[in-house]
Amino acid sequence: MIKLFERRTRIAMHRVKRKKSPFIYKSYSKKPKHRWLRKRNAQERRFKRTGFIAILIAFLFLASLVWNIFSNGYSAFTETQIQLPVTFEAELIEKDAYRTIIQNSLLELFPGIEDRKEKRDLFSLVSRNAPHILKDIIEENPEAIDRKAMVWIPASSAISIFYKQHVHEQAKRSGKISPSQVAWVTDLARTKNMRLKFNWAFFKNGDSREAEQAGVLASTMGSFMTILICVLMAFPLGVATAIYLEEFARKSWFTDFIEININNLAAVPSIIFGLLGLSIYLNIFGLPRSSSLVGGMVLALLILPVIVIATRNALQAVPPSIRYAAAALGATPTQVVFHHTLIYALPGIMTGVILSIARAFGETAPLLMIGMVAFIADVPKTFTDPATTLPVQVYLWANNPELGFVEKTAAAIMVLLTFMVLINLLAIYIRRRFEIKW
Amino acid sequence: MVKNMNAEKKKTEDIAECGPENIRMKTQNLSVFYNNDQALHDINLDIACNKVTALIGPSGCGKSTFMRCLNRMNDYVENCRVTGKVRLDGFNIYKDNVDTILLRQKVGMVFQKPNPFPKSIYENVAYGPKIHHLIDNKDELDALVEKTLRRVGLWDEVADRLAAPGTSLSGGQQQRLCIARAIATKPEVVLMDEPCSALDPIATARIEELIAELEKKFTIVIITHSMQQAERVSHHTAFFHMGHIIEAGDTQKIFNDPEHQKTKDYIGGKFG
Repeated sequence: MIKLFERRTRIAMHRVKRKKSPFIYKSYSKKPKHRWLRKRNAQERRFKRTGFIAILIAFLFLASLVWNIFSNGYSAFTETQIQLPVTFEAELIEKDAYRTIIQNSLLELFPGIEDRKEKRDLFSLVSRNAPHILKDIIEENPEAIDRKAMVWIPASSAISIFYKQHVHEQAKRSGKISPSQVAWVTDLARTKNMRLKFNWAFFKNGDSREAEQAGVLASTMGSFMTILICVLMAFPLGVATAIYLEEFARKSWFTDFIEININNLAAVPSIIFGLLGLSIYLNIFGLPRSSSLVGGMVLALLILPVIVIATRNALQAVPPSIRYAAAALGATPTQVVFHHTLIYALPGIMTGVILSIARAFGETAPLLMIGMVAFIADVPKTFTDPATTLPVQVYLWANNPELGFVEKTAAAIMVLLTFMVLINLLAIYIRRRFEIKW
Repeated sequence: MVKNMNAEKKKTEDIAECGPENIRMKTQNLSVFYNNDQALHDINLDIACNKVTALIGPSGCGKSTFMRCLNRMNDYVENCRVTGKVRLDGFNIYKDNVDTILLRQKVGMVFQKPNPFPKSIYENVAYGPKIHHLIDNKDELDALVEKTLRRVGLWDEVADRLAAPGTSLSGGQQQRLCIARAIATKPEVVLMDEPCSALDPIATARIEELIAELEKKFTIVIITHSMQQAERVSHHTAFFHMGHIIEAGDTQKIFNDPEHQKTKDYIGGKFG
């Protein structure tokens, strides 16, 4: 107590000894001469606080978006499988009646079911794709014929979702599941004849009517093929346009006119480009509908102005003194551009191009117009094959009311966002690594 | 055409001989217009061979415009019109069929702000000889780069980091690199537009030493705002004012005994 008192007096004495600094904010009095200082400082703090709140709100939005997608979609990366005792009867295999084999093994597992509706419920425990899986097994190991084996078969989508919720103890949603199906699943789970496996099918398959079989491979391939066409077309065209406008064209009303139009094109709604593609590429040139070729060409139109603008900005960022230095050495205008200006602008150009690719990657509307919204089960092999892209796949699945597709939609969005993040990281890397500081 | 010239050049070592009159460049009634504003009025000036000619005068008097006429860098300025003649070794460089590429190989330029290419030091020097096909193989190029860098006194400082970007050097080193880049194409004339204005006194002194060294082999035209520098480095001086040459001649004469009152005032620091 005494110590504390001493300390306080010491501080008090200290204060008395030293003169008050006129520069410390707290010491501003309420005198009118300090009014402006107080006001200015308050303004500063207010602005900082507003900025911080803005960032916080933006972050909250982003976090809730990511959380929403993740919580909906993470379960799509696992697949529910049921272990069945399958007897590969040679007779049935010959008749290609794999469906019967599955049905027999299900009946063997749960004997004494006579009711037709009950039977239908039982058979719908496993995926409708199960016969194909058995067929693949037999084709790979023909020695399995006339043998009995335990085989893991993917469950149907409704069962899968019920099981996942059961496992994670959050049975909020109820699918279209009958009470007897619930009993069977509980039984299977108890006897450890049900399991969750990483869902490779999601990355190996194309679209499917069965949610448990639907995958993103076809749409991902479609996306990459579309982007390839798009870049092959837009990159040389856009960069060449920008170089000509920036480095060679003399300023005239015509170049001004072109410049205004390019800037306007960048602001045109993307669906208009889809209509343009529909009327020109499909109707006049007669290119194949819903192909990645046409998709890429439409997206090329879309990002062309963006590339032109990004390239021009990158070229403008190269100081004129470098151009003069090269020209004064006796380089021709073309040499100045290709030995110097373009090289030094390349990191900026690449950043712009990659960001516009990211935009094209996520574009949906124009592709709907040229029929890339089709149901694509097979991976496109050539650029003229019907194809779809990831964002369109998301759109298609989001339209599907079936519960199994809800998680697929979210999972596809996660795949799409992963690619987006990768593309943006690439852009950042290129900018950091190759940027030239003047 | 270019190849023939190169072959010829190789025989006569680097540098072209001075003519009998000892005049490398000559302007005759040279006038320059930007849009309709006349920036230079009938300039007649002789630039002596392998000597340093200083151009002095207040800002905006037309020194830089005049200098850009000497290697036709004015071609890059929009709405710029040039009348009159500029002769290099007796040939008018403003004739229609003159190859500016070749001209600029013979008339090199160093700019006010050091502007090395953001490439390696080696590439900076090698670029000119490469585009003009002055060398045949890598060894010759290496030798040329070394010789040029030695000539500007940069070799010892950068020999171990020729691959480092030219922009990583200090300001003075960058400017010497730019001079090296300009003389690597074996020019006859080197134009220097205020080469020391962005440099500190020590770097400036080094550049001045370098100019004194280079004048033996090159004709140098230098713009400067420093009277002392003009007096130190140049043999001839031309005083520009409002687009006219007020006085031109021997540096000692101009600085010690100017004929014109304006020259006296400018050199004495009364305006500028």
